[in-house]
Amino acid sequence: MTDSKGRRSAISRRDLLKTAGAAGAAALVPGAVAGVNEEKQPTPIPVGPLTNLTANETEILSAMVDRLIPTDELGPGALDAGVLRFIDRALSEAESDAADAYRTGLAALDAYSQYTRGGPFVDLSTTDQDSVLIDVQIGAATGAGVGFAGSSGSFFNMVKSHTWQGMFGDPQYGGNTNFVGWDLINYPGLRLGVTPEDQERLEADQLEPLRRSAYDLGIFQ
Amino acid sequence: MKVIVPVAAGAALLLIGGAATGLRGQDSSTFIVESPTMTTGRFMPRDYSPDGRNLSPPLTWSGLPTGTRQLAVISQDYGAGRPPPWVHWIIYNIPATSGGLPEGVPFDPDHPMPAGIAGAVQGNNGWGLPAYRGPAPPVGSVHHYHFQVFALDDELDLPPGLDRDGLLSAIDGHVIGQGDMVTLYERQPMNLFPR
Repeated sequence: MTDSKGRRSAISRRDLLKTAGAAGAAALVPGAVAGVNEEKQPTPIPVGPLTNLTANETEILSAMVDRLIPTDELGPGALDAGVLRFIDRALSEAESDAADAYRTGLAALDAYSQYTRGGPFVDLSTTDQDSVLIDVQIGAATGAGVGFAGSSGSFFNMVKSHTWQGMFGDPQYGGNTNFVGWDLINYPGLRLGVTPEDQERLEADQLEPLRRSAYDLGIFQ
Repeated sequence: MKVIVPVAAGAALLLIGGAATGLRGQDSSTFIVESPTMTTGRFMPRDYSPDGRNLSPPLTWSGLPTGTRQLAVISQDYGAGRPPPWVHWIIYNIPATSGGLPEGVPFDPDHPMPAGIAGAVQGNNGWGLPAYRGPAPPVGSVHHYHFQVFALDDELDLPPGLDRDGLLSAIDGHVIGQGDMVTLYERQPMNLFPR
């Protein structure tokens, strides 16, 4: 699958959406071509510094989540949804125990890229970035002696899980900017009641989505 | 210190690998499988492993039996997996005219195969991925990697995504020749083998 910038995705959007919600499902479908030297496109950098990661760590994480859910012809990607902001905020709050795992994992990812593909992760072609991420996901990068704490697959799954949460979770937590994640999967929005007419419109794919956070509702405040 | 296994040992492993496929009762001849970048019984280059670019290695074959219409390849490690073997690569629907496989077969199922192997598709390896992923044995151990090639008497045009058992079942009764190339690999971690 090729995105709007001519880049290819590490996970096909179709397969991601099929499994988005299936806990623990590793639905990675490699989306790039080995041995093809694609033109490198600049990786979008988030606006403003993150609190819990250095500029270099942010750049690596940005490139990684951009491959997990890229912006493409089907819609916005992880960076558009504010996944970096979501992760940074989570590392200050509910996921604060994961901060060291991020620092260690991102450093190991970069070291693995340098050792096996000859350059920093952010400078690799998207093909090589995808190949690196596959090796990290399946745990094959573990034995490369580049500093992963435990299996490289644990690091991949942590970042993937947080990326999905930031893409499809409630915007109250810092991601899913402008409800782009919910729009992507045609989520009709949080509703306290569904009328028969709503149900008919939903089944006809004509139900106008309610773009509001759960925290906009009085009962959750 | 790395131990180089003589070619004769590789040939012996060939017989073990052939016997372990479960294909029985077929009149099957043997043919030669080689590689321009690998040698039977020797260590394969790191770029065919996750210590390098993890590209699929090039293969060539010769002496195919008369009547070969398609080929299938399984790369596997009989020293890993529960139960063995651990499958690293499955590719089939390979045209009989191909003469082999190029280096770096695409790992994107949506990307077209190179012209010489147009129509070929990949099955699911031990990680459940329809792509080549190279040797990743425990650090400090040497493993043997088979590249087993099956000559088929029909254009089966099988669907993508078959696992090893599925492929062997699908080609059962159509195998008219087999070839095997056995190579070695030992991990080269950065902290022990810095570039």
